[in-house]
Amino acid sequence: MAARFSVARAARQLTSSAARPQAPRACPWQKASSQQPRLFTVSAQVKEKKYTEDHEWIEASADGKTFTLGISEYAAKALGDVVYVELPEVDLEVSSGEAIGAVESVKSASDILSPIGGTVTEVNDALQEKPGNLNKDPEGDSWIAKIAVTGEPEGKLMTKAEYTAFTEDA
Amino acid sequence: MAPSRGLARLLPRPAISNTGTYSRTMSFARRAYSSFAEQLANPANRVQSYISRSRDPFVNLSIEDYILRASPPDSTVLFLYTNRPCVVIGRNQNPWSEVNLGILQAATSRGTTAKETEPPAIGDVHLVRRRSGGGAVFHDEGNLNWSITCPRTEFTRDKHAEMVVRALRKIGIERARVNERHDIVLDQGHERHPSDPQDTHRTSYTVDEGGPRPLKVSGSAYKLTRGRALHHATTLLASPNLHVIPQYLHSPARKSIQAKGVESVSSPVANIGLDVEMFQKRLQEEFSGMYAHQGTTTTVQTVGEEHLKIPEIRKGYNELKTDDWMWSQTPQFNIAFEGPARSEIDINVHHGIIKTLETKGGSFPDDMLHELQTALVGQKLQDIGDWSQCLQSRIEPWHSDYGIIADRLETLLPVPQFERP
Repeated sequence: MAARFSVARAARQLTSSAARPQAPRACPWQKASSQQPRLFTVSAQVKEKKYTEDHEWIEASADGKTFTLGISEYAAKALGDVVYVELPEVDLEVSSGEAIGAVESVKSASDILSPIGGTVTEVNDALQEKPGNLNKDPEGDSWIAKIAVTGEPEGKLMTKAEYTAFTEDA
Repeated sequence: MAPSRGLARLLPRPAISNTGTYSRTMSFARRAYSSFAEQLANPANRVQSYISRSRDPFVNLSIEDYILRASPPDSTVLFLYTNRPCVVIGRNQNPWSEVNLGILQAATSRGTTAKETEPPAIGDVHLVRRRSGGGAVFHDEGNLNWSITCPRTEFTRDKHAEMVVRALRKIGIERARVNERHDIVLDQGHERHPSDPQDTHRTSYTVDEGGPRPLKVSGSAYKLTRGRALHHATTLLASPNLHVIPQYLHSPARKSIQAKGVESVSSPVANIGLDVEMFQKRLQEEFSGMYAHQGTTTTVQTVGEEHLKIPEIRKGYNELKTDDWMWSQTPQFNIAFEGPARSEIDINVHHGIIKTLETKGGSFPDDMLHELQTALVGQKLQDIGDWSQCLQSRIEPWHSDYGIIADRLETLLPVPQFERP
């Protein structure tokens, strides 16, 4: 079974039959995987900000070598008041579909998934101090992590317009 | 959820044996756990009910997590279990500030056996970090844990607490209601006022301001995955240990620690005063009634330790028992305490590792501070064991002031070692 399980952020959610297989794990994003990083440049399709069905967004840097990951405004609203953000450690290697962190809000723990494989180069430490900022600006200052990509994104990625339609349908 | 993909891997191979060496009990046990995995993942079973015979919190939480991950996407699953005495903290909590770690091991710590008969006198109490959010709770055999796994789209934080309140009211617990923290409380008002019996958020004894504080009898926590939501909660029915719960949940280090993460909100608690087995049945009935429109509830299946043979459950169980999950998952924190020579010692811990150690004020000598930093910075707390032994083995020459610091650390930052499987 692929080592990926997916988790949603928002209350309204599709129940697609294309849901992913899952693997139980306690705290995967603090354990380094043995996979070696490869140099990779992300393709044009994520240069524009894209959204996942799990309510994360990713946006590539100008050179296409790293991307920034966060959760959508829709997700942040659905979660309620965020009291803690579990951030990955820098240098963590993550496969696409794997959890790279988690958010706690109102006694609920929800995982944050990466739609793309790579190595964590930077985390947004400000969220340690002020987790509530995730509710205020989830698609701007309150990004979660930056990742040097080692592969193409997997799973469905949507443009802003497609994502808006997706959340309205749900 | 693609249960068929996962299922093929987790089902045991058929018991092929033409030599007759396969014992009857063995094949029975295999049938039992394979039928659990099959029944759980079968999309036809939209309403399912399970109960655990295990009292092991690690086993029960791992079975519960497996239910969350392996049940069909549109199913609703009830799971009931009771644990032997243990303290369970939320995913993002600090065990040193939330729990009185020094009294968890009654008989084994410090090589004495006398403590078992001294207060709190309930033997060893395990410490568990669960995967869901929320605060620290105490479990024992008088506490029934119920959990509901349902689709994310159907989930609200109150929905199933309301179900439990309806079950309680049907057996005469008319003071029970859901409060604003999604917990279940018993109202303590003295006078009866008219109220809507269908309103699970208000009783005839609800007092709006002032008046006696409601007593908490059930606390909730949640784990949300992609399409699924897990709501689990305690229910204090007949705990013989109510009087000692505050001792376990009050840490001597609370005032010394400044922690990120989630702090518990402490509430006065009470027993509802019901027999555990009786209430299990009533809850199963209430659940089946609530979801009758969705399908017939499967016959209640009993699960237990034998299900650790399912690889996913075993993996989750092993993860919950690791030192990394128990200690290093703790969010970043600072601990400050009075050291020798009127100094204040300030230690920062992140990912379970001592990152900095500084002194403030007083006249603590620089060379001693340097010795301490060399001995401790970069050290993983979970590997320390005994603070005195640890420091004595690393600092030369020894000074009694180090002993004072070691004693303080042993009180404030102990890392009890539990037996491992």
